[in-house]
Amino acid sequence: MKEKKISLAHGNGGVYMRELIDDIFASKLHNDFLNTEHDAAHLKLNNSDWAMTTDGFTVQPLFFPGGNIGSLAIHGTVNDLAVSGAKAKYLSLNAFLEEGLDITDLEIIVSSMAIAAKEAQIDIVTGDTKVLPFGHGGGIYFATTGIGERLKNLRLNHSNIQPGDKILVSGPIGNHGIAVMMAREAFGLSSDITSDSANIYPFVECLNALNTPEKIKCLRDPTRGGLNMLVQDWSRNTKLGVMLKEDQLPIEPAVASVCNMLGYDPFNLACEGRVLAAVSPELAQDVLQLWRELECGEQASCVGEFTCEHKQVVMETSIGGQRILQALEDEPLPRIC
Amino acid sequence: MNARYWLDKINSLSKPPQTFNVLNVCGGHERSITQAGLRSVLPQWLRLVPGPGCPVCVCPEADIALAITIALKETVSLLAFGDMLRVPINSAALHKLLPKHIRSLENAKAAGADIRPVASPLEVKALALENPHTQFVFFAAGFETTMAPVAAMMSEFFSGNLPGNISFLISGRKTWPAVKHLLDDEQSAPIHGLIAPGHVATIMGAKEWQFVANDYQLPTAIAGFDSESLLQAFYCVRYQTEIKKPTLQNCYPRAVKPEGNKLAQSTLEQCFSVNDANWRGIGSIEQSGYQLRAELNNVNAQLKFAGYLDEINEAFARDSMPKSCRCADVVMARILPDQCALYGKSCLPRQALGPCMVSDEGACRIWWSAGLKGSSLQ
Repeated sequence: MKEKKISLAHGNGGVYMRELIDDIFASKLHNDFLNTEHDAAHLKLNNSDWAMTTDGFTVQPLFFPGGNIGSLAIHGTVNDLAVSGAKAKYLSLNAFLEEGLDITDLEIIVSSMAIAAKEAQIDIVTGDTKVLPFGHGGGIYFATTGIGERLKNLRLNHSNIQPGDKILVSGPIGNHGIAVMMAREAFGLSSDITSDSANIYPFVECLNALNTPEKIKCLRDPTRGGLNMLVQDWSRNTKLGVMLKEDQLPIEPAVASVCNMLGYDPFNLACEGRVLAAVSPELAQDVLQLWRELECGEQASCVGEFTCEHKQVVMETSIGGQRILQALEDEPLPRIC
Repeated sequence: MNARYWLDKINSLSKPPQTFNVLNVCGGHERSITQAGLRSVLPQWLRLVPGPGCPVCVCPEADIALAITIALKETVSLLAFGDMLRVPINSAALHKLLPKHIRSLENAKAAGADIRPVASPLEVKALALENPHTQFVFFAAGFETTMAPVAAMMSEFFSGNLPGNISFLISGRKTWPAVKHLLDDEQSAPIHGLIAPGHVATIMGAKEWQFVANDYQLPTAIAGFDSESLLQAFYCVRYQTEIKKPTLQNCYPRAVKPEGNKLAQSTLEQCFSVNDANWRGIGSIEQSGYQLRAELNNVNAQLKFAGYLDEINEAFARDSMPKSCRCADVVMARILPDQCALYGKSCLPRQALGPCMVSDEGACRIWWSAGLKGSSLQ
């Protein structure tokens, strides 16, 4: 790593974070199961296939429109397993509580967690709590580990991706990023944008039901770093280029207008309830049709495709122009006008 | 009428014998142009040139140094617009005053100074009301569009409604004097048409830009921020050239009126006088800077913390850019961003050397994030 100190940019899902993981963690901890390009490890236990993931949650503020850190922790863990082609079964939970935290807030958060867990049909089977002195934590941090059974008809790996494969997104992007940002700092704006935080397993389950493992290449959930970072990862790992179509990116008008005012690109913002799929072109319409019948899937869209004509992520703009997208480097900051 | 309509109209124009350079003034315009990929759909003869429209890029080092010093040495909370936080100061002068590793407000924040990013004056007032025992210093760099709401908040001082725990460090600039300076500058690229800034004109009125057509015989159009309005403006300036009638056209009439926003103008007038002011790397431009009026001395952070001024002004008497950095030439339309030798090499958003690579309004940053390179202005 070039940097001497950890900065916030090491946590934003972009280039810095990739360097942090590759240069420090992966290089020292490598083993046969650790693959830092995947959201979960694949394990064989008692002759059945399992996936295991872990995640940490430090969102500020603890409550935001559409959810709170509790529901987010469940969704985040379940979703990492889902895009690894597994149905979450059991979770562990570590809660780091800061001295002075309001017990009522904690109760509300854990109740939301219980509701999210029930809805995702998982059990939180073990846990631990620690209390940190005042000023040493943002109220609550959660760390979770989840294991889930792998679905039989999905064999997901970015190495399966071919030129011509389509990229599908299950719903509008950027809502979570903007909802949290506005809950944190109102910027003198008001809106009714809510987070998209949700369990995305139904979107994966219906792909499994298609029983076409060779045509569903890879799934990811565009959390930190947004859709752009994920597509950049795919492009880098497959050594293929990606053509995105601006017209086809589902973005709610309110999200677009806040992004416009603050100088953010919606495709760099986190989602917590969306899936991105790379699929064979002949399967794209079938998948979209299935997704559009699901709750929150009405705006599912084919946003682009892989190409061997170049190795960059290029967006065709609404007017037919081209714009090369770069991997996010530093933390986005609101701009002045 | 939509963007496609104006694009077709532009394509139907006859190709001029030489490249037709259209200057835009506003960082927001450059951003819209680049994000929509307009350069890739416009005919080759039409070249869009970014200009001086980034207030962060032209904020003098001395102003930033004063903000950093106050934040580090005084018991205050310093509030600044987000993109100001990362602007680096490169002058070795700063090292005489502060620890060596501190080159930006962000470094000062990491070293423990209470510095917070804000996006609007409303936020500043809300923070001051919520934290009555904290002294806030609002460091506001910006053009007319930013200075108008800052002035609106500041003018509450006269009615007694401004919280007593706010003072102001102002680095406000007017845009038209910089454009005049650029048009008079022999090193700047030959400009054949001007796209005047839509937001500034909304506040200050369309007629502020009349001088470009009158005094410089330069086709001018005020544009909004969508592709439709921008393409219409490009068409207008080229068409004016074809018919040899340079004038001022308003392609953003739903927001821009000839007289502008009178209330905002009078609030600006009430709070600020206009003086010659320094632009980073460019030098002093006549009648281009906003300065707090004497009636507002009580909330003027420059006076409140005047003890640091002499030392800083002496240290930064010669405003300096980093070695080989050509931000000032980009701002003055002497070169395009990727003609700077540092662009995309040692100067990247993650380690910006020059201010134009920091702000989302800065031409280098905008170009880099759209992967633009390989162009030439002259």
